Amino acid sequence: MLNQLALTYILAQENSGFELIPLLNQLISGVGIVGILLLTALGLAITFGVMGIINLAHGEFIMLGAYTTFLMQDLFQMDLLLTIPFAFVVTAAIGGLMELTIIRRLHGRPLETLLATWGLSIVLRGVIKLIFTAQLKYVRAPSYISGSLTVLTDGAGVPTVSISYYRLLIIGIAIALLLLTAYLLYGTGLGRQMRAVTQNRDMAKCLGINTNLVDMATFAYGCGLAGIAGTVISAIKTVSPPMGQDYLVDAWMVVVTGGVDKLIGTLAGAFVIGESNAAIAFFLNDPVARVIVLTAVIIIIRYRPEGLFTVQKRG
Amino acid sequence: MTQVLPGVQQPTFPRKLALVVGIGFLLFAIFPFLAGNFQTSLMAKLLLFSALAISLDLVWGFTGILSFAQGVFFTLGGYAMAYYLKLNLSADANTYGVALPDFMVWNGLEQLPWFIAPLQYFPLAMIAMVLIPAGFAYIIGWFIFHSRVSGVYITIITLAISSALTTFFVSQQAYTGGTNGITDVAPLSLFGAEIPLIGLYWMSLVFTTAVLIGTWWLTQSNFGLILRSIKENERRIAFLGYDIASYKIFIWTLSAGIAGIAGGLFVALNQFISPVYLAVAFGTQVVIWVAIGGRGTLIGPFAAALILGQVQNYAEQVTQDWQLIIGVLLLVVVLFIPNGLMSLVPKTLNFSQGTTKTASPDSSAGYLQAQLIDWITPLQNLAKASLKILRKNRSRR
Repeated sequence: MLNQLALTYILAQENSGFELIPLLNQLISGVGIVGILLLTALGLAITFGVMGIINLAHGEFIMLGAYTTFLMQDLFQMDLLLTIPFAFVVTAAIGGLMELTIIRRLHGRPLETLLATWGLSIVLRGVIKLIFTAQLKYVRAPSYISGSLTVLTDGAGVPTVSISYYRLLIIGIAIALLLLTAYLLYGTGLGRQMRAVTQNRDMAKCLGINTNLVDMATFAYGCGLAGIAGTVISAIKTVSPPMGQDYLVDAWMVVVTGGVDKLIGTLAGAFVIGESNAAIAFFLNDPVARVIVLTAVIIIIRYRPEGLFTVQKRG
Repeated sequence: MTQVLPGVQQPTFPRKLALVVGIGFLLFAIFPFLAGNFQTSLMAKLLLFSALAISLDLVWGFTGILSFAQGVFFTLGGYAMAYYLKLNLSADANTYGVALPDFMVWNGLEQLPWFIAPLQYFPLAMIAMVLIPAGFAYIIGWFIFHSRVSGVYITIITLAISSALTTFFVSQQAYTGGTNGITDVAPLSLFGAEIPLIGLYWMSLVFTTAVLIGTWWLTQSNFGLILRSIKENERRIAFLGYDIASYKIFIWTLSAGIAGIAGGLFVALNQFISPVYLAVAFGTQVVIWVAIGGRGTLIGPFAAALILGQVQNYAEQVTQDWQLIIGVLLLVVVLFIPNGLMSLVPKTLNFSQGTTKTASPDSSAGYLQAQLIDWITPLQNLAKASLKILRKNRSRR
């Protein structure tokens, strides 16, 4: 009886040409992509959404975080997870300094900011290359996180659908940072000041908010988040000066798709882009999936510049 | 400033400018006789890059649309030319016979795809070289400019276009040659005679000069005035009854066409094209030329592409870190000389800016000084604050 059922199930699968298990696998491992997208886009969502700054050097801050992790491991044999605060502090400090010297002076001129941050990204890449050479660096992932979690097993107990613990860690860290950021923005005094500055800079200034300090703190925090993303990514990719470039366009697409006002938009944007990429890649192939998703995002920007997941404001 | 009568602008014939351009053209024309083959081909390449920079200046410097996709149009024109030259390889030069380019054979194609086949005829290829980039630009322009997408979002869209197209061209290996692009193409020949390097150089020179003069003429006309007003205040010019979208689409398409021809000539010269020129990195390179040279000056981007290219040629023999210098230069220009290096040139020498700006305070030395002081003040404050904290801690001890 059971055999009969299994046989019909296999036959049905062969006939339809559609395999559920591999698709499920693909979608579940897509969660890892969602995590990375969320991590890389979160910092941008802060700097762009709150401050309105087009930061093309965002990828380079990810790279700086990865190099901090590499340095910490190289010098002190530190555990990957322990290097996260260091990556945050280092990139936030550099970001704060950049805001003080460059970004601040270009306020209200988005296209100039865009150019300046692109110049900054070239400089950061060049300096890192001078210090560490262009050689690829490797970072050790913590040993206790290897292996994968089995979600489904077939009749014989062989795992069919599974997800590696590291991917779970990535999405975990991403969600944790999202919650932390949400708390910071909506639960603390500094966050209230940040939002006040976003909504009406001049009025906030009149009410005695130190807008300069708030700007610097916001930018530094955004860069610090990029640094954490760099640490997490460093364990799955090699660390090299141009590595940040790979994440820049994708992070931008997530922020723009999700909408710039609300943090939840970033989560939704990362989820939609990551999972649709995984699903299309399953039916076609990876490059085509990327092209389709990017085209879809362009169309979305065309019709909803303020993003898919924000409530439209009345003019 | 030229007198602007109601609706009519009457440019006088610019004798001084014509003289300078004529002398410059002659100097460039005799250049190959003075320099070696390497310099000639480098200079021809840089002239084409200059034309590309001028084409971006049209959309960015004059209309205010910052695009990272100019390299895309350049490459599309380049691919059209590359297919033509590849398909016209002589039978003995092509390892696999005349019918099919080698990369298609490697990727298991049996016959020429129908959309590439027409490119083996010279007139069709020449038309495609202009029409494919221009048509692509028209579609994008029609799509974007009719909406309420604002400046920064357009820039992000161009980033996405560049990124998507690079992925696409790399993945379609059978049709585009993948990462390697189209290599080992035939040299360009007209009426059965192969064109020597010097001929290609002159072609590039004539093309770039034509682009320079044509864009100058265009931007001095009423049309240019409208473009500049779109950049200054889009809403006001719309209220006056101008259909800004169609102006934007026109200039966007035109600049893409120019970029396409530059790309086609580039392939004839360099004999290869690859997705490197599609990528965001090359697109930003063009943006950097225009930013450093000076937006809206035409001659600035032209000179910047030429000079930076030459400097790069020599710098790369000394150091690997040429990009770092470019980055610093870009930062300095954006922070302290927002109108580009052209604004430092004395006005008497600055021909093409005749009607762009009457008196710009940006070029004066006092402005630069103020900028520098502005820049240093926050750093001083930071230093003072940290010193204060240090002192407090010391007194506690």
